[in-house]
Parts: sequence; C-alpha cells; structure tokens
Amino acid sequence: MDSSSPQLAIETAGLTKRFGERTALDGIDLQVPRGCAFGFLGPNGAGKTTIIRTLLGLTPASAGTMRVLGHPVPAERAQALERVGAIVEEPRFHMHLTGRENLRVVAAVRGPETFARIEPALARVGLSERAENKVKSYSMGMRQRLGVARCLLADPLLLILDEPTNGLDPAGIQEFREMIRAMVEHEGRTVFISSHLLDEVEKTCDAAAIVDRGKIVTQGAIAELAEGGGARHELVVGVDDPERALGLLVASALVAEAHRADEGIRVVLAGELPSAAQLNAELVRAGVGVTRLEPVRHSLEQRFLAVTSRLDAELVPEELKA
Amino acid sequence: MNPAIAMRMMGADFLKIRKKLGTMIWALVLALGPVVLVFLFRELHNSATAGGIEGYEDSVTAVALIIGPIAAILIGTDAGAIDNSAGVFRDLVVTGRDRLAIFAARVPAALALCWLIIVFAYLVAILGTFAFAGTNPTPDSSLLLEGLVFSMFSTGVICVVAVGFASLTNSRPAALTVLIMWHLIASPILANISSLGSPRKLLLSQAIGHFSPFSSDNGGGGGHHDAHGVVLTMSGGTAVAVVLGWIVVFLALGAWRTRTMDA
Repeated sequence: MDSSSPQLAIETAGLTKRFGERTALDGIDLQVPRGCAFGFLGPNGAGKTTIIRTLLGLTPASAGTMRVLGHPVPAERAQALERVGAIVEEPRFHMHLTGRENLRVVAAVRGPETFARIEPALARVGLSERAENKVKSYSMGMRQRLGVARCLLADPLLLILDEPTNGLDPAGIQEFREMIRAMVEHEGRTVFISSHLLDEVEKTCDAAAIVDRGKIVTQGAIAELAEGGGARHELVVGVDDPERALGLLVASALVAEAHRADEGIRVVLAGELPSAAQLNAELVRAGVGVTRLEPVRHSLEQRFLAVTSRLDAELVPEELKA
Repeated sequence: MNPAIAMRMMGADFLKIRKKLGTMIWALVLALGPVVLVFLFRELHNSATAGGIEGYEDSVTAVALIIGPIAAILIGTDAGAIDNSAGVFRDLVVTGRDRLAIFAARVPAALALCWLIIVFAYLVAILGTFAFAGTNPTPDSSLLLEGLVFSMFSTGVICVVAVGFASLTNSRPAALTVLIMWHLIASPILANISSLGSPRKLLLSQAIGHFSPFSSDNGGGGGHHDAHGVVLTMSGGTAVAVVLGWIVVFLALGAWRTRTMDA
C-alpha cells in the first residue's frame, strides 16, 4: 500500500549513503512539508550536500526510500524532478555563453514549453538587462541569481538550494531572503535550503532539520526547535530580594524550575506563558518588588550547538572503542 | 524521447561548441591550413601542375586523413566533455532527463559542426584544384562527390569516437592528448610494424583508408592509402566491421560512463 503523504514535498525513510567504509547518510528519516521554507541545517561535512545529491539522483542511495513531490525516486525520477529546480553546491554555467544562452541550454533539456519561461525568469531575478553578457563577466551574486532563474524554468513546486547565500554580500543575502519568502508566501512553492548558517535558516525558514554526521538530530518548526522541541517557557525575573524570591518561586505551583543566574532568577514555567502574570502577582502579594519579568527567547544557534555538541559527547566512547 | 526535444537538445549542444571561440578557430585552422599549404607548396614546386587531379588528391587526403581528423578530435572531445568541464552536467541531470538522452545529443551536434568545417575546407580544396589546375586534368564530378563523402566519413567516424572517448574520460585535455597522440604517432607507428601482421587491420586509420577514393584498387583486397601512406590489404567487410567496432565500443563506453557516474 502507498503510505506516502501528498502533503510532503520530500519524504525519506532510512536513507543511507555509503562511500566505501564511510557512511555519509545514516538512516535519514526526513519529512519536508509542502508550501514552506525548510532549512536543512548542519555543520560542514554533516551530509547536507550528499542528501541533496541523492534526492536528485546525482548519486545512488545505498539503502532506504525517497519520495520527491510524491513520486518514488529513483523509480519515477523523471516525473519527480519535472517540477523541481535545484542548485547543488555553487551554481555552475558555461562561462563562454551568455546568461540567456545558458538558460536556453537547460530549457532545451527540460522541454519546449520551458522556453517561454526564460524571459520571465530573467526578469524575476533582475538579470534581463545583463542576459546578453557572457556569464564569465557576472559577479558571484549574479551567478546565484542566474542559478535561481534556471530553477524557475521548471516552474518548480519544490526548489532545492544548497548553501544559496554563499558568496553573497549582506544586501544580496537580504534580497535573496525576500525572494525565497515571496516564493513560499505568494506562490506556494516549497523551498528546501541546506545551510550551515544558523541565522540564515532562522530568518528565512519556517521549519528545519538539524543534521550532523549523517544523522537527523531533530526536526520541526523553527520555534519548536529553538525551544528544544517542547513547550518550554522560560522567564528572567528581576527582584529586589533574590534570596526570598527564589524560595517563593521554587515553592510555587506555577514554576517547574528556578535558579539564580547572572541576569536575575531564571524560571521555567510549569504552564503556558500567560501564567507569568499570575507569578508576578504572587511575588507582589508576598511583598517582593519585581523589577523585571522577561520571557527568554532561545535562538536556533543555542539549540544547534547544544544538539551537535551532545552528539560529539555521545560519539566519544564509540570513537575510543574504535 | 520526443523528436522535438531531441532536436532542441542537439541544437543546445551545437550552440555550446559553436560558441567556443578557441575550438572553432583551431578547428578551422587545422581543416583549412593544410589545404592552403598543399596548394602553396605545389605552386612553389611547379606552378603548371599545382592543382588538377593531383592537387585534389593531396588536399583531400590532408582534409580527410591527416589534419582534418585533428579538427574532428577537437570538436568531438569538446562535445563529449564540455558539460562536465563546465560543471553543468549535474544541472542537466536534475532536470530529470535521461542521462543517455543527454549523451546521445552530443553526437549529432558534434558531427554537424565537424562536417560544417570539413565541407568548408573541402570547398576550398576544390577551389584550389580548379584554380591551380594549369595543364593538369581536373577530377570529374563522380570523384568530386567521392572525395566529399570520404572526407565526411573519415572525420565523422573520428569525431564520434572522440565524443565517446571524452565522455568516458570526462576530461577534455586527457582525451585530446591521447587521441591526437594516437592519431599522429601511435597509429602510424603500429601500422608500420609489419611483424604485427594482420592485427594491424584493427587500426581505425587502416580501416578508414580502405574507403579512400584515391586507391589503385578499392574494389576489395587491394592496396589503399591511409593517413601516412601505409598500405594494408583488407576486405570491404573487414573494414566496415573495424570502423563499426570502433564506433560502437567508444559510444558504448561513453554512454556507460555518462549513465553511471556521480554527477
């Protein structure tokens, strides 16, 4: 029976890729929902490019199953990739051809209907005026944009972008981010972005998976990931009498955990964030002056460093055994 | 595959090579240069008989068997390796198009460009043949046609082998070096080692030379010219089999590599 979900743009189960003795992907189970920007986050060498190359049929998988836009790969690779645009590693072109000619080369391979998309794609990425220049005269940013134009030739339901902001200046990164968001929000496309830039993924993506050493460490919505996967609400409480306040907080039914920190008292609420107001009232009623009550915002970076360093720690005994 | 897509893909491959200025200039120089040099040399040697049937034979031999094949190798190796050299092969593969279709489009594109240049060089050879004929007899229309067909056949076969070999190696410099060395040095040396006996018939240049219109006996079994004047006897069937063997083996190897390699 076909158990694939039509809501998923990418779905892998037990996806494994070995290069000789080295395992680059180790039983990857990945679910990328449609209509979102999905970050595939991991340090260099974690397996990000390998999974992209495997999904696109550039290299065969050693084990496991994959579906792209509902089609099993490699069995229905042609249908799966018909509406997929991809930039793998840096975008490469025939340098001796113009931007427009490079798009014509790919359009010829995709099919006759694709030629009508060349001019709109060039316009979309702002390269219409430079389309007759040879690509060797393009800056890195222009090549990235031409790479996106090449993806758009497929009128893609799914864009797969491997480290797309590499080599872009801050203005280019901002422009690129806006373009990705527009594709997701206004055109309903799914964008899968692999990156080692946490800030980039946090600002651009709705959901992400963190990969390290060929394994998915965690995946989910960005906010959930940053919070550690659960509804954990944390506060920093500033008071005039910390010792007394800490005693009250530890005893409170509203508090799951409390401890002194540099910035004040760090409190993990037992319930939802609105219970912070009740906590404030409790402290005030007990005669403690509250000077600060601030929710702690976790960044993806903190979570990323936590999960990847945890993996390091887990791996040490294995490595020592080896 | 849809014939319209096949034509578009072939056109795209044609564009890629045609726009490579270096390849095009060198191919033209290599195809035309020898023709010009043949007539120049013959004119300096004896202006009364520079052209005519002898000038035609020398210039067509240069185009079809000696330097024309180098132009064919230049174009064929470019067609075979250009996508990989530029790093865009993976971008073609991610379109979902079958890899064999991507490989197959290279062959007619390379042939079309190769023949365009060879026909141009051949027309210059005909011009020289008649312009410098002097007192020499000129070739009849039948020989003119045979010369054209032979030039296209010889360079076409070598061009196709070059596409396959470059697709196999995925390195244009490597394929170019090996094929030029083979054509100019190794193959003629092997053809001249008489102790090797009949296995020399497996040399592509020997099999192609069998079809030369300038042999004294091209009905089968007689002596024929190859690129360097070596004469080997072989039947027409053997020559056809050897030529087909080279084409099939190198196309199969190129297709296999294109289909199986990590892009």
